[in-house]
Amino acid sequence: MGKEPVRVLVTGAAGQIGYALVPMIARGVMLGPDQPVILHMLDIPPAAEALNGVKMELVDAAFPLLKGVVATTDVVEGCTGVNIAIMVGGFPRKEGMERKDVMSKNVSIYKSQASALEQHAAANCKVLVVANPANTNALILKEFAPSIPEKNITCLTRLDHNRALGQISERLNVQVSDVKNAIIWGNHSSTQYPDVNHATVKTPSGEKPVRELVADDAWLHGEFIATVQQRGAAIIKARKLSSALSAASSACDHIRDWVLGTPEGTWVSMGVYSDGSYNVPAGLIYSFPVTCRNGEWTIVQGLSIDELSRKKLDLTAEELTEEKALAYSCLS
Amino acid sequence: MRGSLKMEKEPMKVLVTGAAGQIGYAIAPMIARGIMLGPDQPVILHLLDIALAAEALHGVKMELLDAAFPLLKEVHATTDVTEACKDVNVAIMLGGFPRKEGMERKDMMSKNVPIYKEQASALEEHAASDCKVLVVANPANTNALILKEFAPSIPEKNITCLTRLDHNRALSQIAERLKVYVADVKNVIIWGNHSSTQYPDINHATVTTPNGERPVKELDTDDHWLKNEFINTVQQRGVAIIKARKASSALSAASAACDHMRDWVLGTPKGTWVSMGVYSDGSYGIPKDIIYSFPVKCEKGKWSIVKGLKIDEFSRAKMDATAKDLIDEKEVAHSCLN
Repeated sequence: MGKEPVRVLVTGAAGQIGYALVPMIARGVMLGPDQPVILHMLDIPPAAEALNGVKMELVDAAFPLLKGVVATTDVVEGCTGVNIAIMVGGFPRKEGMERKDVMSKNVSIYKSQASALEQHAAANCKVLVVANPANTNALILKEFAPSIPEKNITCLTRLDHNRALGQISERLNVQVSDVKNAIIWGNHSSTQYPDVNHATVKTPSGEKPVRELVADDAWLHGEFIATVQQRGAAIIKARKLSSALSAASSACDHIRDWVLGTPEGTWVSMGVYSDGSYNVPAGLIYSFPVTCRNGEWTIVQGLSIDELSRKKLDLTAEELTEEKALAYSCLS
Repeated sequence: MRGSLKMEKEPMKVLVTGAAGQIGYAIAPMIARGIMLGPDQPVILHLLDIALAAEALHGVKMELLDAAFPLLKEVHATTDVTEACKDVNVAIMLGGFPRKEGMERKDMMSKNVPIYKEQASALEEHAASDCKVLVVANPANTNALILKEFAPSIPEKNITCLTRLDHNRALSQIAERLKVYVADVKNVIIWGNHSSTQYPDINHATVTTPNGERPVKELDTDDHWLKNEFINTVQQRGVAIIKARKASSALSAASAACDHMRDWVLGTPKGTWVSMGVYSDGSYGIPKDIIYSFPVKCEKGKWSIVKGLKIDEFSRAKMDATAKDLIDEKEVAHSCLN
């Protein structure tokens, strides 16, 4: 007697992140090892054959948890009945494209996907936007799907969060699983603020603040931040391709913690609809520290924000406000 | 070595060769998530590739760090085969010379034989004793045989090749045909070579139904489909994937490699066997001294061939044909050594 399957939509599923993500979902990495899933994979018509190839491989892998696969170029079919939607599909930035051009392409896409999700997804569908510009794509989606609870529309900054944990673990020569409570504030872009002021490391003598153990504020305020901000570019330089593996893995972490809850004493970073906490403007999709319980996220309140952090929080908020204005101008 | 406070198992060291390639990119996160060795088994990854791929390999290492996998204790990315093989408990051999258009079998063989000869020595000298080896790179069976021949101190039972992908493909073709869940189909067999001469055999396969386990042959009485289209589909599936994706089946190969190793290490479920390319002991009238895919059960880290299955005439002919294919490959491989 297994659980009822959960329907998971992946848009842009024929691409690199999709190819990394779907076997993870099918193995229970996203929703747990006892949760059967039905995958809905959506992509555009030019990718239909490749998408079918992915479906064939998912069938060939004989995943016990995978109870069905829908591979389609029809957004209605893609969205019907889905409980979780991972939006990987978007218009990638091409060389020579202005920011406004990328924005206008993606605004149209996310406006149309918003309608489809609102009309056809299951009630209480949880949405994770990965495609860049992630925060603003998520905002557009939220604005054109008013009947989807605003708390259900999020964007991925867990990749940056995990990258920050990884950098600290390397610096301190500890296991990454012993580092926690980094924060990624703001936009999933180069203005993101990776903050370890409240991060800790598990040591033989208890949990110690990262800042104390690193004992190098210059590094924490300089190279560390730059490394995390620029990591995407570093991966592209090395692989000649973007970071599909780690993005897919982080997307699984984001959903899993959202659905199954964060461990006691641990928070994670999620791009969520701002309620004005920490004097961040309301009405943006902004990355905050959150804990998750019973399928809901809650912003961790009351963390002290020093001057340096304040500036950085505000800078990334400013960028998001500009992106929002740009996105809206594309709609007129 | 970095320590962790939790009471954890000792990490297992897993080598992946050809790790900068497509299958490597798919398999690395699977291993790091515990899909290969279990959700409570920490791992240390050794990633090996050729010098040309060093930067890409480093990119994979960076991503593995970025993913903050709790089970992944260390990653060593190297182009040095000695460093890569050091103390590894599991070796997944993805690296090999790929077949290019126009290449004859002999050319393919002559490129891969030296690779597997060299890797054999390195593994023999540096891997942990009882290292379990899975060869994926094609020609998988013969690469594994060469490896076995040049690593005589590695127990012959420890050198295997991947036919689990074909096995899983066969299960899912049956599942689609019978409109059941793939998890309810079991005990197909892939006999022989991981090539177009493989024999996907459902004579002993069963489906779990509300009325208990029923033979596939009883539920699908279309003998013609089972003996023709089904076999062709499974044999040619790799080609079909390439046609659709314009790239080969990395996702499902990686997943099948995890299944192969997991079942070998952790054991097959009761009443279930799987297919593995293993060193033939002459069972079922198959020649010895080749790596041939058989039905096996696994327990306590060891595989054993399922004996006593009835083999009809049709099956006999197919099993012999794929054995002959492997004997021919062996001869070509040996001729490359001279």
